[in-house]
Amino acid sequence: MSDFRELLDSHNITRRSFLKYCSSLGALLAVPAAMTPKIAAAIENDNRPPVIWMEFQSCTGDTESLLRANRPSVGELILDHISLDYHETVMAAAGEQAEASKHATMEKYKGQYICIVEGSIPAGADGVYCTIAGQTAVDILRKVGGNAGVIIAVGSCSSYGGLPAAYPNPTGAVGVSDLLPNKTVINLPGCPMNVDNLTGTIVHYLTFGTPPAMDRFGRPKFAYGKRIHDNCERRGHFDAGQYVENWGDYGHRQGWCLYKMGCKGPESFHNCPTLRWNEGLSWPVMAGHGCVGCSEPGFFDTMMPMYQRLPNVPGFGVEASALKIGAAIVGTSAAIFGAHGAVTLARNWKQVREAKEETREEIQQTIDADSDADK
Amino acid sequence: MAESTNATLTTPEQPAECAARRFLYIWEGPVRIIHWVNFFCIIVLSVTGYFIHDPFMSAAQHPYIMGHMRHIHYVAGVLFAVSILARLYWFLGGSYYASWRAIPNPFNRKDRETFWAYFRFYIFLGQKTPHLLGHNPVAFCAYTLLFLLFFLQILTGFALWAQADPGSTLYAVTGWVFGLVSNQWVRWFHFMVMFLVAGFVINHLYSVVLFDFKTKSGEISSIFSGWKPDHRD
Repeated sequence: MSDFRELLDSHNITRRSFLKYCSSLGALLAVPAAMTPKIAAAIENDNRPPVIWMEFQSCTGDTESLLRANRPSVGELILDHISLDYHETVMAAAGEQAEASKHATMEKYKGQYICIVEGSIPAGADGVYCTIAGQTAVDILRKVGGNAGVIIAVGSCSSYGGLPAAYPNPTGAVGVSDLLPNKTVINLPGCPMNVDNLTGTIVHYLTFGTPPAMDRFGRPKFAYGKRIHDNCERRGHFDAGQYVENWGDYGHRQGWCLYKMGCKGPESFHNCPTLRWNEGLSWPVMAGHGCVGCSEPGFFDTMMPMYQRLPNVPGFGVEASALKIGAAIVGTSAAIFGAHGAVTLARNWKQVREAKEETREEIQQTIDADSDADK
Repeated sequence: MAESTNATLTTPEQPAECAARRFLYIWEGPVRIIHWVNFFCIIVLSVTGYFIHDPFMSAAQHPYIMGHMRHIHYVAGVLFAVSILARLYWFLGGSYYASWRAIPNPFNRKDRETFWAYFRFYIFLGQKTPHLLGHNPVAFCAYTLLFLLFFLQILTGFALWAQADPGSTLYAVTGWVFGLVSNQWVRWFHFMVMFLVAGFVINHLYSVVLFDFKTKSGEISSIFSGWKPDHRD
C-alpha cells in the first residue's frame, strides 16, 4: 500500500471518490474513460518527479489559487502529494535550508523535475528588480528552468509578462518562454490560473510523460481550446440581442449578455464557463461582470479599456476610441473631396455659366425654329 | 453627307452605322459584375459589421437579431472573398484594361508623364490630362491600396471567424495573424478598415463624377454598360 493511500485514508477520502476524481480529470483532459486506471496509477506512483515552485514578480495570486480551498479536496491532496520541494510561500524551511533543499532536488532529479514558475521575470537593468539569495530572477530561472524536465508557467505574468509587463513596463518584465525559448514551457495563463487546470496538466505529464497538446501560445488545448464566449451561459442573450446597457439596469438584473459592457469573452480562450472557480461555484460572468481577457497574450494593455469593446489609440492628445478615429477618417475624406469639388466649381464657374447660357439660347432657338416651321 | 447618313439609318436593308461603332467595349461582364457584387457586399458588410460592433437595435421586435446579423455578415463575407478572388483571376488573365498589363510602368517615360499630368490635375496645378480608356494612373494607385485593404480585411475577417473553432482548417490557415498582432488589435483593424473604405467611397464617387464631366469618357455609364466613347482621334 502506497503512502498516497495512507494520505487519502487520513483525510477520510475513499478510494471510490479518488477514482471519481481521476475520471473527472480524464474528462477535463479529454482522454477516454479507459485511461482512468492509468491516471490513478500515475498519481499513486511513488517515483513521481518532484516540483520546484518559483515565484518572481507576482502577487502570489496563483499560490492563493492553489491554496484556496476551505476543505482539502482530492485535487489538493494530489498537489500536496507531489513532492513540492521548494515553494517560497508555503514551505516550512527558510534561508540556507530552503536553498539547500532546492539544490538537492535539482541535483538528484536533473532533467526530470517539474519546474513551476509564478510571476513575470524582470529582465530590465540586468535583472536587479527581483533577486533571491543574491541571484537575479533571470539567472535563477535559467538555472532551475534550464535543468527541468518540463516547465509550467502558472498565471498570466509568468506566461506572457502579465500586469508587470503592462505599459510602460518599468522592470522590463517578460514571460518564461521569452527567456527559455528552447525549453518546453506549458503556459497556464489566467489571473490567477485555475488550479484544476494545473492539476490536470501535472497529471497529464505524470500519466503520459509528455505535455498536453498546446495551442500557438503554448496553452494546453484541453483548457484553452474554446472561447469563453462560445461556452458562456449568457450566450443565448448575445444571439438574441439582449444586452446589459448599464450596471444595475433591467438587463443586468436579468443576467443578460455583457457584450456592450466591454466583456472580452469573445476575445478570450479559457475554460472558465465550464470549469468555473472556487470548486465550481461561480466565475466572473456568472457573477455579473464581463470577462477582462486575463488569459490572453497581451493582457493587460490590449484588453483595456475594461468596459469598451475595442482598445483606444494613444497619441491623439487624449486617447481616441476606434469610433472617433473612424468618424475622423470619413470626415476628412468628405472634407477633402468636398473642398476639391468646391474649388473645381469655383475655378470653372465663369465657363459653367457661359455654357449654361449658351445651352439655354440654343434650346430657345430650336423651339423658335420648330414653332416657325409649325406656322 | 448628312443626307446619306439619314438614308442609311432609315433603310433597313442596308447595315446601319451602329451606335456601338462610336464606342469601345472596355469593361467586360466579369469586371462589371464583380464591381457591383463588391458594392453590394461592402454595404451589407458595413451595416452588419457596425451592428456587431455596437448592437444598436432593440431585441424586442427581432428575436435572434445578433445571430441573424452575424449570419448575414459571414455569408456576405464569403461572397465578397469569392468576388475578390474572381477579380484577382481576371487581373491575371482578363482583358487588357482590367489586367496587370495596364499597370503604369514607372520606368516608362510616357507612363510617368501621364501619372504626373493626372496628379497635377488633382491638385489644381494642371488642366490637361491625356485621354485614357482604362483607369487613370492616380486612380490605379488608389485601387491598389483599396485591394490591399480588401485582402487584409478578408484575412482578418476569416481569422476572427475561425476563433469560434481553433481546431478548424480555417484557423490553421488564418490563425497566424494572432501571432503577429494581438486579438484585440486585429478586431480594431477590422473595424477601422470599414471607415477607410467609406473614405474611399466618397473619393470614388466624387472622382468618377469629376472625370465623367471633364473627359466625357463615360466614366459612370461604362460600369453599367461596359462601353466608353471612342475619343482616340
